[in-house]
Amino acid sequence: MNAEYSSLETAIREGNVDRGASEAVALVERGYRPIQIFSECIEPLLKDIGEKFSRLDIFLPEMVNSAQVVKAIQQTVKPYMGQGEELSTKGKIVIATVSGDQHDIGKNIVKAMLDVNGYEVKDLGVDVDAADIVQDAKDFGADIIALSALMLPSLPSVRDVIEYTKAVEGESTYKIMVGGGPVSPEWAEEAGADGYGDDAMEAVHVADQFLQ
Amino acid sequence: MYSNKLPEITKRSEEGPYMKEKDFDMALARKVSQLVEKYGLEFQPEVLVPADDDMADRLYQASLELLVDQGVYNMSTQRVIHFTRREVEEAVATAPRKLTLGAGKDAVVMEHRSVESTKPCVVHSGPTGTPCSETYYPLITASCAQEPLVDCLGAGSVSTYMGDKIIPGTPLEILGVQKDAVTLREAARKAGRPGMHINDVASPLTCAGKISAINKELGLRSTDGLLVSQMVEFKTDYDQLSRVAYMQSAGMHIVDLMTPLVGGLGGSAEGTAIVTVASHLCGILIYNPSYHIYGHMHLLESTDTDRMGLWIYSIGGQALARNTPVVSITAIYTQAGLGTPEVLWEVAAASIASTVSGLHQGGIGATGGSREDHTSGLENRFNAQVSHATLGMDRKEANDLVLSCVERYEASHQDPPPGKSFPELYDLDVVEPNQEWMDIYLEVCEELEDLGLPLR
Repeated sequence: MNAEYSSLETAIREGNVDRGASEAVALVERGYRPIQIFSECIEPLLKDIGEKFSRLDIFLPEMVNSAQVVKAIQQTVKPYMGQGEELSTKGKIVIATVSGDQHDIGKNIVKAMLDVNGYEVKDLGVDVDAADIVQDAKDFGADIIALSALMLPSLPSVRDVIEYTKAVEGESTYKIMVGGGPVSPEWAEEAGADGYGDDAMEAVHVADQFLQ
Repeated sequence: MYSNKLPEITKRSEEGPYMKEKDFDMALARKVSQLVEKYGLEFQPEVLVPADDDMADRLYQASLELLVDQGVYNMSTQRVIHFTRREVEEAVATAPRKLTLGAGKDAVVMEHRSVESTKPCVVHSGPTGTPCSETYYPLITASCAQEPLVDCLGAGSVSTYMGDKIIPGTPLEILGVQKDAVTLREAARKAGRPGMHINDVASPLTCAGKISAINKELGLRSTDGLLVSQMVEFKTDYDQLSRVAYMQSAGMHIVDLMTPLVGGLGGSAEGTAIVTVASHLCGILIYNPSYHIYGHMHLLESTDTDRMGLWIYSIGGQALARNTPVVSITAIYTQAGLGTPEVLWEVAAASIASTVSGLHQGGIGATGGSREDHTSGLENRFNAQVSHATLGMDRKEANDLVLSCVERYEASHQDPPPGKSFPELYDLDVVEPNQEWMDIYLEVCEELEDLGLPLR
């Protein structure tokens, strides 16, 4: 990586929002274009952070903090972008833990992993019912609905969301991916989900395949 | 605070400061990271059973500081419930030290254990929340209840009622839970132990579902227990607190379940140890439990038998044993599947590390408690044998033994052997382990004896 990016890289790895934003602005002022900073530095760096987390070489708070720095940088460099220029996102995803299930950690891990892998993710929280998930997906302009369940008795709620979404919005408006402790690939297929992720990294791969 | 803390908890849930859940999470992560440094806590991969009393005491102080600083998040009101240091210390000082579990001739006394204690562990069995099919659940629970070294019966999660998927909040949930409770009671009765303590029914999601397990003749009694959960990390809600309201008035044993995640908000092994010990203190304040389930888990693998998980069992157990009167049991979740040597080596490592560190023994969850019917009585017998053989052992010797066990399964953690399910490993007519499972069990027993642990 270009040595001029090293301070920015350090700020992102350390989760330092203020320093990350100021380093990005400094780079812009030295003639780097925001899109260039993202493609040459931030995107490969986030990929590396995601991979490190998938081996637990770093932990969830570090990954979340790095994602927050990147979000702050996105906002900070916006005024420096040329007309028609846009920072690329791979796609938009709403993510939720289904109705009746209060567990959020699995969902939060997947969200953080999707964040650092270039997706724009809206977290709807836990215990969210089908109608609210679909409405939020519409409002957000989502490409993908990601559903999480930790408890075995939550599986009917996952199926509810899949059936409701397809009944109300049609079969192909949203790609639906599912995951969580009690969810198996066989169950996901049988329930009508479009994809299944065994862990956060696999969720990213599934999303990538959806939006290829 | 008064003995019934719920009115005060509710008041603080309604009047405490608002906070976004994400902000609460990140504040916790930051504070834990500071405390690891402030109290000089250090995980060493070659010292899984540390003999460092001072570090155990520093861990306790860090945990106390975390709870007082952070408070507990009520997800129902999005407010933080704060406690003063004095309130925490008073509640901890008056926590139960000694309990009678079960009834009549089958009752056992479970009391606080110290580090390197010769006092036997009370042994709870699986299925430890493992998914179980309706067909095999009666046989699986019978296989656990009939084990002479098992003192208390655990519960599995059954997702159907008469073949139909149970939907939480519907009559099927109530019917399914009642059937589960009858199954557990019947397993104890068939084993000739009708008064055996049953520590949960694991199928229900709702408060109503949980409470419907209680039935003096056919289900759970006041001498049994039900789990109340802390959500990750330091979180509760009114549904969980309402379970406490009912159970404490019914005189049941409240069992405080926590699942701090290694690599999650606590971050490192050291941070997760702080969160785990602090979660015990948190449980005392919000749930008034009889005992706790020490249920930390690897964030990505859903097990607690990797090096970090074993260290957390040991150092956290010691911190609690040395600084509190609490009674806590393990929840050993293995990476390997049932019916493999690896699953038994994982159990042995966790059993040794936790027994010398002041904990009692809970059930086993093979495959991280994820695969249906991957649970049986035999691995619980094995856990009891290992734990009893470890009594009075010093921590240095225990550490050497634990490392020897870890060597025998660690390489398989990335690609664990899937194992087999209960019907493939038991003779279903007589509910006894088949020759294949017995041979594996005897082989590991023999090897452990060669390592110096006298199992027989």
